[in-house]
Amino acid sequence: MAILEVRDLTARYSRTSPEILKGVSFDVEAEDFFAIIGPSGAGKSTLIRCINRLVEPTGGSIQLFGDEITTMAQKSLRRLRRHIGMIFQEFNLVNRMSVMDNVLSGRLGYTGTVRSLFRMFPRKDIERALELLDRVGLSEHVDKRADQLSGGQRQRVGIARALMQDPKLLLLDEPTASLDPKISREVMVLIRDTAREVNVPVLCNIHDVHLAQEFCNKVIGLQDGVKMFEGRIADMKQRDLDRIYALEVL
Amino acid sequence: MGERRTMTGGRAQALQQMVERHRWDLARQLALFAGIVAVCLWSVHVIIIEGTDWARIGSLTGVLRSIGRFLVLDWSLIPQLALPMVETFMMATLGTLLGLCFSLPVAWFGAINVTPSKAVFYPLGRFLMTLSRSIHEIVWALIFVAAVGLGALPGILAIAMRSVGFISKITAEAIENIDHKPVEAIRATGANNFQVMYYGIIPQILPVVLGTIIFEWDINIRRSAIMGLVGAGGLGLTFFRQMHMFNYGGVTMVILAILVLIILGEVISHYARKAVT
Amino acid sequence: MTMISFARSAQARDGSRRQWSRFRYPDSLFRYAALLGAVLFIGYSIEFLGIDLARLLQMFGRIGEVLANRYYPPDVGYVLQPDYLHSVLESIQMAYLGALFGLLLAAPLAWFASYNMTPSRRVLYPMARFVIMGSRSVHEMIWTILFVTILGFGMLPGVLALTMFCIGFAGKLLAEEIEAVDMGPVDAIRASGANAVQTVMYAVWPQVKVAWTGIAIYTWDVAFRAATVVGFFGAGGMGWYLKRNVQQLENERVAAILLSIVALVIVSELVSAWARHRVAKARRPTALQGRTVAD
Ligand SMILES: Nc1ncnc2c1ncn2[C@@H]1O[C@H](COP(=O)(O)OP(=O)(O)O)[C@@H](O)[C@H]1O
Ligand SMILES: [Mg+2]
Repeated sequence: MAILEVRDLTARYSRTSPEILKGVSFDVEAEDFFAIIGPSGAGKSTLIRCINRLVEPTGGSIQLFGDEITTMAQKSLRRLRRHIGMIFQEFNLVNRMSVMDNVLSGRLGYTGTVRSLFRMFPRKDIERALELLDRVGLSEHVDKRADQLSGGQRQRVGIARALMQDPKLLLLDEPTASLDPKISREVMVLIRDTAREVNVPVLCNIHDVHLAQEFCNKVIGLQDGVKMFEGRIADMKQRDLDRIYALEVL
Repeated sequence: MGERRTMTGGRAQALQQMVERHRWDLARQLALFAGIVAVCLWSVHVIIIEGTDWARIGSLTGVLRSIGRFLVLDWSLIPQLALPMVETFMMATLGTLLGLCFSLPVAWFGAINVTPSKAVFYPLGRFLMTLSRSIHEIVWALIFVAAVGLGALPGILAIAMRSVGFISKITAEAIENIDHKPVEAIRATGANNFQVMYYGIIPQILPVVLGTIIFEWDINIRRSAIMGLVGAGGLGLTFFRQMHMFNYGGVTMVILAILVLIILGEVISHYARKAVT
Repeated sequence: MTMISFARSAQARDGSRRQWSRFRYPDSLFRYAALLGAVLFIGYSIEFLGIDLARLLQMFGRIGEVLANRYYPPDVGYVLQPDYLHSVLESIQMAYLGALFGLLLAAPLAWFASYNMTPSRRVLYPMARFVIMGSRSVHEMIWTILFVTILGFGMLPGVLALTMFCIGFAGKLLAEEIEAVDMGPVDAIRASGANAVQTVMYAVWPQVKVAWTGIAIYTWDVAFRAATVVGFFGAGGMGWYLKRNVQQLENERVAAILLSIVALVIVSELVSAWARHRVAKARRPTALQGRTVAD
């Protein structure tokens, strides 16, 4: 059974702007490491942001574990968001906070306002954060400020923050596009392994087709807001890639 | 042949235009300069030559003698200066803190990217910023002395109101310049609006805000020292009293006390600034 | 289904349970002590200054009441009288002269007080810094009172007080602007054998011209704000009317005068903002443009 069902999703940024997504449908299942590929500007980020409604969809439906996301009220939306971990291309850490506080901020959805005012996170959250930091190989840097880390290390903090949420789904928006090829691979390995360890499906925007072929099992190809390909990544042929990256635009 | 002539003709014309534009610029600058000098001469005539009681000023020796009266320091005043100095210091500090409290909502209203309403609160916030800065601290003090009576309280309120403009303007600018990506990341974890602000925005603007408060506090010591001139306590009151007793040596002592406070403020703010960065 | 812990692997690697606490022994202790000290200082200050917090809370109601009973309606007719309007003109002229004299004195002082361009780092630099610092430290109202005491009531002490004020205000900004110039052209002009004055004229002045114009306009604006109140201490202009009516408890006139001051200052601020914008647009961007300057 599919965990995430997206049907005929449409989105635009303002009433006058053109449609960015023009009716996209796909299913993500429990075991999936699901890739979205496509040229830049195709709407990959928009699609992924619709899933946790950082961008409001204008039509279609998104169901996560059978709950309809597109019509959810603010309060339930917040409760939903805490179950969706997100990892960003530019890490999006709060630079002036420590690594520990950045990781702990993954628990904000579970923490009351007063507690978060004094940054008093429960003991078990702190222990969990330490485990995760250890797992991503940052136990030496717990008290450093986030802007003192290298790019690869920052993305590891981003991974720890996302896993801190106890996610039921991980959204990745080009998690390696700001990293060099070697670090990119390491980060992808880390994401794949940790996602397996906690048993979470992953939905991943990815620019680099080779990385997609190495790490993902399913793929959809977007071009200009339209799904051009869907299937197992092993079945994807050069012809499909050409269609997605639309060399015949002329 | 014909073509060449038009080319040279065109070039000559362009040159002519350039020269004319240059002349025009020069003429404009000369006119501006002449205007400045003319207004200056007129003002000097009206204000300094006609509007001044030269007989009262008398001779240069007379002026020098009245300056000399300030230079005979009245050391006996020292014990009376300690309390007003403390008072001035406290007024400046409390005024700055209160100003900060008022500034936060004003900055929130006046920062275009977080304002609750672009049609109502944004212009309101901007207007409050201008209003606070436009009114001289003496005028603020007069208003509050009228409203709450004599004492330190009107001084604190005046300093607070006068500080709001600068603190909130800088804070609003800092809010407008934040990086939105981490804010979005915090929102994506399911944080509520308060948490998004507290974890996403505040850490980014905190250094700017702290630096501004320290800066403003330093300036407020200087303002706080004159609040007493209109009845709001502190060193200004001592200054006023010494002036009324014609004890000019004492007046100089008060000014020296103010300078001591200001230097103290500089030193403290120097270390405070180091501590926050 | 998701909460599968890494605890085992972490423990295995580390040997023991890891601990983390927000509290770091000496640092946090200092921080809490400083916080406690600050809170105590604020509490003590409120006590020391005899501030009645209840009165503070009633303040808003009281202000409304006082305004409504005593200051309303403002006597608008009073501020439209020729006498008062004449004093407005006087204030403007006073501000104009004070700013002009202040700027003329501040310009060379700023040159001497800029560390990169000063002709003498040993003598002129500290002297110029001292003069600028000194005239900044003494509040313009105190300058006014001093000059009034020495020279008697009238416009001249007002102009001199504003001059002192502008030396301090503009001197600092102008010097900051010189310190921010690109030193490349300076070195180039120097390398061509130019003397100090030539270097300033050809390498520094073109770089700071626009910014200085902006600062000059801004200085005039700030001087006008001060000029509206110097009269309160005997130096002529609108402030003198304010003083007289405050003393005679003519509250409705006071209200009108205050309103006229606020209106005029806001107008002057708008004019100055517009003029600075024009100057900046006409040439290249300046450091002052887009930066909020403390006043
Ligand atoms: N915040 C926004 N406001 C308006 N248009 C946007 C915004 N973000 C993206 N777009 C537009 O949406 C289209 C798709 O962008 P995006 O989803 O970021 O593509 P991708 O991630 O595939 O490169 C682009 O044409 C882009 O210009
Ligand atoms: Mg993208």
